[in-house]
Amino acid sequence: MPAPAGAPGQLVVEARDITKSFDEVLALDHVDLELRIGEVHALLGENGAGKTTLSNVLAGIYRADSGTVLVDGVEHHFRSPAQAIEAGIGMVHQHFRLIHPMTVAENIHLGWRDTPQFVTKRELIERTERVMGELGMHVDPSAEIWQLSVGEQQRVEILRTLARGARILILDEPTAVLTEQEARDLFSVIRGLVEGGRTVVFISHKLNEVLEVSDRITVLRDGVRVISRLTAGATARELAKLMTGEERELLEKSRTKVGDRPVLELVNVTARGSRGFIAIHEASLTVHAGEIVGIAGVSGNGQTELAEVATGLRRVDSGRVSIEGFDNTNSAPRRFAEAGVGHIPEDRLGVGLVRSAPVRDNAVLRNYWKPEHSGRLALRRGRISEFARRLVEAARVQTRSIYSPAGYLSGGNQQRLIAGREALVAERVFIANQPTRGLDVHATQDVRQSLIDRRSAGCGVLLISEDLDEVLEMSDRIVVLYEGRIVGEFPRTDVDRERIGLLMGGHIGPADAEEASV
Amino acid sequence: MIGTRAEAGAPARVRLERRLHVETRRSALVRIAGLLVALVVTGILLQASGRSAPTLAGEVFRATFGGRFGLEETAVLATPILIDAIAVAIGLRMHLWNIGVEGQFYMGAWAAAGVGLFVDAPRPVLLILMALAGAAGGASWILIPAIARAYWNVNEIITTLLLNFVAVSWVEWFSIGLWRDKEAAVVQATPPVGARLPLLPGSIILHVGFLLPLVLAVVFFFVFRNSRWGFEVDMVGGNPRAAEFAGIAVRRRILSVMLLSGAIAGVSGMVHLSGATGRLQGTISNAYGLSGFIVAALAGASFFGLLAGGLFIALLLHSGIVLQSAGLSVYIVLAIYGVVLIGISVGEMASRYRLVLGGKRDLASGPKEAPP
Repeated sequence: MPAPAGAPGQLVVEARDITKSFDEVLALDHVDLELRIGEVHALLGENGAGKTTLSNVLAGIYRADSGTVLVDGVEHHFRSPAQAIEAGIGMVHQHFRLIHPMTVAENIHLGWRDTPQFVTKRELIERTERVMGELGMHVDPSAEIWQLSVGEQQRVEILRTLARGARILILDEPTAVLTEQEARDLFSVIRGLVEGGRTVVFISHKLNEVLEVSDRITVLRDGVRVISRLTAGATARELAKLMTGEERELLEKSRTKVGDRPVLELVNVTARGSRGFIAIHEASLTVHAGEIVGIAGVSGNGQTELAEVATGLRRVDSGRVSIEGFDNTNSAPRRFAEAGVGHIPEDRLGVGLVRSAPVRDNAVLRNYWKPEHSGRLALRRGRISEFARRLVEAARVQTRSIYSPAGYLSGGNQQRLIAGREALVAERVFIANQPTRGLDVHATQDVRQSLIDRRSAGCGVLLISEDLDEVLEMSDRIVVLYEGRIVGEFPRTDVDRERIGLLMGGHIGPADAEEASV
Repeated sequence: MIGTRAEAGAPARVRLERRLHVETRRSALVRIAGLLVALVVTGILLQASGRSAPTLAGEVFRATFGGRFGLEETAVLATPILIDAIAVAIGLRMHLWNIGVEGQFYMGAWAAAGVGLFVDAPRPVLLILMALAGAAGGASWILIPAIARAYWNVNEIITTLLLNFVAVSWVEWFSIGLWRDKEAAVVQATPPVGARLPLLPGSIILHVGFLLPLVLAVVFFFVFRNSRWGFEVDMVGGNPRAAEFAGIAVRRRILSVMLLSGAIAGVSGMVHLSGATGRLQGTISNAYGLSGFIVAALAGASFFGLLAGGLFIALLLHSGIVLQSAGLSVYIVLAIYGVVLIGISVGEMASRYRLVLGGKRDLASGPKEAPP
């Protein structure tokens, strides 16, 4: 890896007057961007602001309709990612492009010009170790990708891009999939890279991260650059205003008294995950009317299975699930809906919506069979349309019409539609699994508000989220899940953030003893 | 408007861009354009091989549109193709590819022939019994693929396809073996079945079965627009996991859709038997099931679109018969089918894209705001 030339602070990439549209949608409207050597440059903006589109233009994935990209003062018109990386610009996508059954070394060498034509596994591993040594980042080169954690996979992606000579590294929403600790590790990798004379473009909509990691910030809104400024001196409030174009309203949090009436009870529930291994071990959990119970935990520790067990999508091996005192163990999903259990599923496109079907049909997906929407044989189309219009309006779903396919909605609006629909199903219990993951500020706020509204209406809410801040902010009570077991419970008034963090990571003993032994 | 300014240093290039929406009218026009191109190509080839393309075209046109008989013959050909296309289209609503319509057609015809040959009843009763037997025959032929698909997720494309060959052999065995007509000179068919479908009033050969696909298309259009069952099928087709979340019994819907598809294909065999051929024979289907499959796939499972497509394919088949009697080899005729179908399919694909010059577009003519 040749050390990048050029003094820190010197301009290395200049994008001028970039315009890009898709069909009739104008994604970038005459945008300029300057990147300097040795800086972390944050691209901040809500979903659909044009962050990813701009990066894709820089990385040679999209071609701009007009405008120019200069690297080291030389004009380039990239026709492929290979040409961009030739000029020194490489991108790590939000969704990794790794081949799971292949090793780290193989993934790094795949499609790389410098890979020798004939090579042994041994040589590949040696070459990989050399690259890692030069860059100061380490992952087991002979491990297969599926064996790695998400954070390690991301490191492989970064290594792959840097190995090909990228001086300017674009990271698209790199922390969206990481745990807190993994995000910390990533930040120190980023610092190391810029100290070595590289430039990092950090795409995010999380204000705190941007303030923490970046040197300079560019805010995009609706495809237009709003501002570029040094990070020093910027405040979260000011950036939020620039991003959204308005002051962020604070959530309406009127609290009702938490009742002592249990609406959802799981008693000693054991259930298997999709691969047949036990995913939940003897878990007991009660949610009362009028409270939000937050489940903290690193994803993959049984959260999804827990949500599915409580909504009829997964059978339990043993234990009992009851809704407002009535046994609902292993009932069909529709029985849970009838009992008043609403569910925002984790995989919103895979489970929550039928993308090819119109918004109208998705609006009644969970209650189309009710007498107000359907007779025994025929649907009541008029009433369904009316219902869908009301739902779209109330849930603030932005759509051209209720007849557009749900797949045409942006991610935030898809989630607004699901949250609005499920809130109507949730007469007693509302279960939300990663409800705001990947959403922008506005959509996040709308979805959280729908949870709070249900709670105020006397519903029991179970919030499952990887975002610990979200869990702490929203919940009346916090339960920590680790490897399918409930390992801790904290009332809102007595939250020990550090202790929760340790429990999430599997340090189950008393906090002090644990610190001593680590 | 396509932008014409060329960026300095960037040569103007033409590239394809996918359309978000394809209007029905545009899609129809592009398909017709594809058809015309294919016909021109066919003409050039015929001309090159020493035939007079205009003369042949004139002959085909006269034989088809020149009199009642040609038109009725085409409609008789169209009937099984259309019913089979509807059978396929119902499966396609759920993204299930029933390639076995041909086999279900054979088994429907076989079961109907069994009733027609051996049951003694007044004609209307016998016809109803034959239709029921046809439906049962077709449905039974898809039963195993349907169960395998619903419970073990076995790909129905392979299972239904393979059963076609079994069905053809089965019918052949009966028509030249067990049920063979031993009295008449025909050696490769059964005796005439007990009841024939009546002709349409004033027709020479066109039977009332021709009305069935028209009725079915209208019925299923409304079933999928307005019925609860149609809604559930569409949801399962769109996203089975979401359908399960909605509380729909996904397996039962898969079974019901596949059995219905098979039953309709079976009825089409019964209709063709009792309306057109009158006897069960090994060659009772002129690949109607496969033509129906092509029609349904090209029509994108639209029930009215497939009516137009099915009539067109029937026209093509009829032209082929005329061309063969004009001395063209069957292989040339098959090649012509191929060219025409490729022309239409390419048109169908092409209508989803548009050409953009030089990677640039005149932004002033497009709306500035992003749609919600």
